[in-house]
Amino acid sequence: MSNITDELYERFKSNLEGAGGSCVRTSKADLGKTVAGLFKEYGADSACLCETPLIKEAGVCAAMQDAGIETHTDHIRKYGETAIGGCSQTAFGIAELGTLVQADTDVRAREVAIMPDYYIGIVKGSTIIPTYDEMFFEIGKWKEMPAFVGFITGPSRTADIECVATIGVHGPLKLTAVVVDDE
Amino acid sequence: MATEQLKQEIKEALDNATLGRTLGNFCRTYPGRRLTSYAGVDFESNREDLRSVKAEAAEHVDEMIEMFTKNCEARGGHVFHSHSSKEASDYIRNLCKELGVKTVVKSKSMASEELHINKLLGEDGVQCDETDLGEFIIALDGKTPVHMVMPALYLNKEQVADLFNDNTEYQSKPEIPEEVRVARKVMRQKFLHADMGMSGANVAIAETGTVFTMTNEGNGRMVGTLPKTHVYVFGIEKFLRRIEDARFIFKALPRNGCCQRITSYISMYTGASEVTLDKETDERGPKNFYAVILDDPGRRKILEDPNFRQIFNCIRCGACLDVCPAFALVGGHVYGSKIYTGGIGTLLTNFLISKERAAQIQNICLQCGRCKEVCAAGLEIPEMIMKIREKDLQESPDKVKKFALDAVSDRKLFHSMLKIASAAQGIVTKGQPMIRHLPMFLSGLTKGRSFPTIATTAFRDIFPTIIQDVKEPKGKIAMFAGCLLDFVYTDLARDVILDLNSIGYIVDFPMGQACCGCPASTMGDTENAIKEAELNIEAMHAEDYDYIVSACPSCTHQLRQYETFFEEGTDMYKRAKELSEKSYDFCKLFYMLGGLADEGDGVPVKVTYHDSCHLKRSLGVFEEQRELLKHTKGVEFVEMDDHDQCCGFGGSYSVLYPEISAPILEQKIENVQATGADVVAVDCPGCMMQIRGGLDARNIPVKVKHTAEIIAEKRGLV
Repeated sequence: MSNITDELYERFKSNLEGAGGSCVRTSKADLGKTVAGLFKEYGADSACLCETPLIKEAGVCAAMQDAGIETHTDHIRKYGETAIGGCSQTAFGIAELGTLVQADTDVRAREVAIMPDYYIGIVKGSTIIPTYDEMFFEIGKWKEMPAFVGFITGPSRTADIECVATIGVHGPLKLTAVVVDDE
Repeated sequence: MATEQLKQEIKEALDNATLGRTLGNFCRTYPGRRLTSYAGVDFESNREDLRSVKAEAAEHVDEMIEMFTKNCEARGGHVFHSHSSKEASDYIRNLCKELGVKTVVKSKSMASEELHINKLLGEDGVQCDETDLGEFIIALDGKTPVHMVMPALYLNKEQVADLFNDNTEYQSKPEIPEEVRVARKVMRQKFLHADMGMSGANVAIAETGTVFTMTNEGNGRMVGTLPKTHVYVFGIEKFLRRIEDARFIFKALPRNGCCQRITSYISMYTGASEVTLDKETDERGPKNFYAVILDDPGRRKILEDPNFRQIFNCIRCGACLDVCPAFALVGGHVYGSKIYTGGIGTLLTNFLISKERAAQIQNICLQCGRCKEVCAAGLEIPEMIMKIREKDLQESPDKVKKFALDAVSDRKLFHSMLKIASAAQGIVTKGQPMIRHLPMFLSGLTKGRSFPTIATTAFRDIFPTIIQDVKEPKGKIAMFAGCLLDFVYTDLARDVILDLNSIGYIVDFPMGQACCGCPASTMGDTENAIKEAELNIEAMHAEDYDYIVSACPSCTHQLRQYETFFEEGTDMYKRAKELSEKSYDFCKLFYMLGGLADEGDGVPVKVTYHDSCHLKRSLGVFEEQRELLKHTKGVEFVEMDDHDQCCGFGGSYSVLYPEISAPILEQKIENVQATGADVVAVDCPGCMMQIRGGLDARNIPVKVKHTAEIIAEKRGLV
């Protein structure tokens, strides 16, 4: 897979910002530091982390612990009830909308993305797909649907009281996508 | 017909200041925000694609059910195919008993509301909580949704704070962010401890056995992630064949529903996905996953009826509500099926909830056609509502309406009534009992609108005195005047003739013409509409003319409908078709025949324009008249806000529902005033009567003129 172009990254970023989220770009080497820095900035002293090979290789857990963040990689359903932060890797991104796409059977990936106040979604630059339609064509090609596929676009929101847009209802109050450049 | 109860509900809605402000504001800004969200997306082509994938699934619905069942079960899900809402609710109640479910968290499912599942489970001792913020609020208030997408918008933040303070363990100031935080805390505890999650599906995919849920708040994700048991409830109209088909739905749904390009969450569940079974031991495994398909007789009835089958294409976005002038005023409680509201709600209520209720609320429709323009699937909502109206009138003809309609279709009676009215002018304008005896749409002495003066001489008696000086005529046109030109706006009728004379056409006035039949059709009285069509086909003798001109778009529209009243191949059909095809509205015909010219007296006048619903949306004419006006020397043309929003006239509507019609007119007048125009140009005498009456009652010195009158005046033809 080829790495993400600057143009595609900028498109993804600006669309995500338009949906109330934020976006940073980093290398695999700096991934741990970046994630830990974001959590610190938010004031998250505890977090749940759903590990994948990339997250393990990049030493994200250690970087978070080094930064003084109480980090849980197991019993996520339990610690997710009180943890301030949540972090996982998502399978794809959609540049057209600033969307993160989960395709998981592992429930922990869903728990960290919905329970804590602040969610960080890590996505490889090479897996960011330009358009919404192309994402659906990609899903259509899969031999089998994963038990769960989820599009996440920005933090949770509502306009149910007086039609006033308000960020942060049942899901995260804040969301950041961390785009990792492929090596 | 307007029952007292419905009238009372309308009054309550109009008296609710919060609803008026919030809903009014929302509906006013909706069209613009919606358009912005569609930037870069071809709405029309998506609409076509959406319609085609939905229709394909509807045509093969049994195959879809079978395929979905097989594929969902292959992935560890359980599927229950219910043939009535009772079967469905019994199944869920038993399931709760078997699994020992004591608490249920729900993310919005309108199908489950059809089952009254919250109430039934409550009787079984199961606590059922709505988790969507709006639904949660209205549940505390003990009310039903006022809008499909924003259920609680009839309450203000102060009222919400009171509800929270009285019913939860938390205290909230009347500030929205704090209220949202309180709701998060309250609901979080429920999510964490619920035994079962219950969801509604926006889409169900047959080929993969996948169900989709779209939310903004994240409650759908909570319901689908935390509880060990997850039940989906959805109707057979939610099926699509392929996973890629879903993209058309989710392209339109967030844009039409909330003016967003996408919502925060779109979730797809295929079979028994994983769940944490024990948070202490961190044991994980497949959840209990159930899909309850609602395949009740009401849904099958929709499918079987060729007139209504397209209802299956609806994606429940609510756009038809958001652009409806009547809905913007009264909101969903008035539509009162307690589940489905607005235009589409009227139709769904008819089939799924209560035919009687639908028969009442269908009256609220103005037939303005705005909903059809924005519908994600291009449903012919106004036409379908008309069908319900027709059926209702056939089954229970209302005496009052029928009286007025019988009078209109009896030419002599109608004309003599108008003449009596004319003679008794003083009485009429003072609002004495006399007005009761006028045809419904002329007896509109309502609050905030003056009644027009009935002409002392009918146009049919004036016509022979008009000298038509046309050298080497290019052709001959028959004029269809319609009631308002014949008996009220006779000067306008004269100007239409003078305008057409000026471009080389002779105009004839066939004396046998009667009411076009539009009032009868609008009230659902097909019998009288056909009677009038027959009269007019005979009288107009289209065979003898090049064109038929009308200066009333409702008449033109009706004339163009005539061919659909008769069986193909019959003589009447042939004659109706000829009349239909030769009939044009004034502006269209005048433009077509070379009437566009840079002429005029050059005297400055600022003109704005109001689009008639029939002319713009039924006849598709909105450019020609603007061109004619802009090219008239002296005219400075300025568009008003919401220029194609209904003026509230709607024929007999303004008489049957003055309480809704009046505020719609009020908005129109505000928009007119904001332009600073001297003249509002219109092409419909009904709109002219409505807007002129409104301006007059408020002593606003803005004139209302038909485009034909402006042309005649500025070109010095009068």
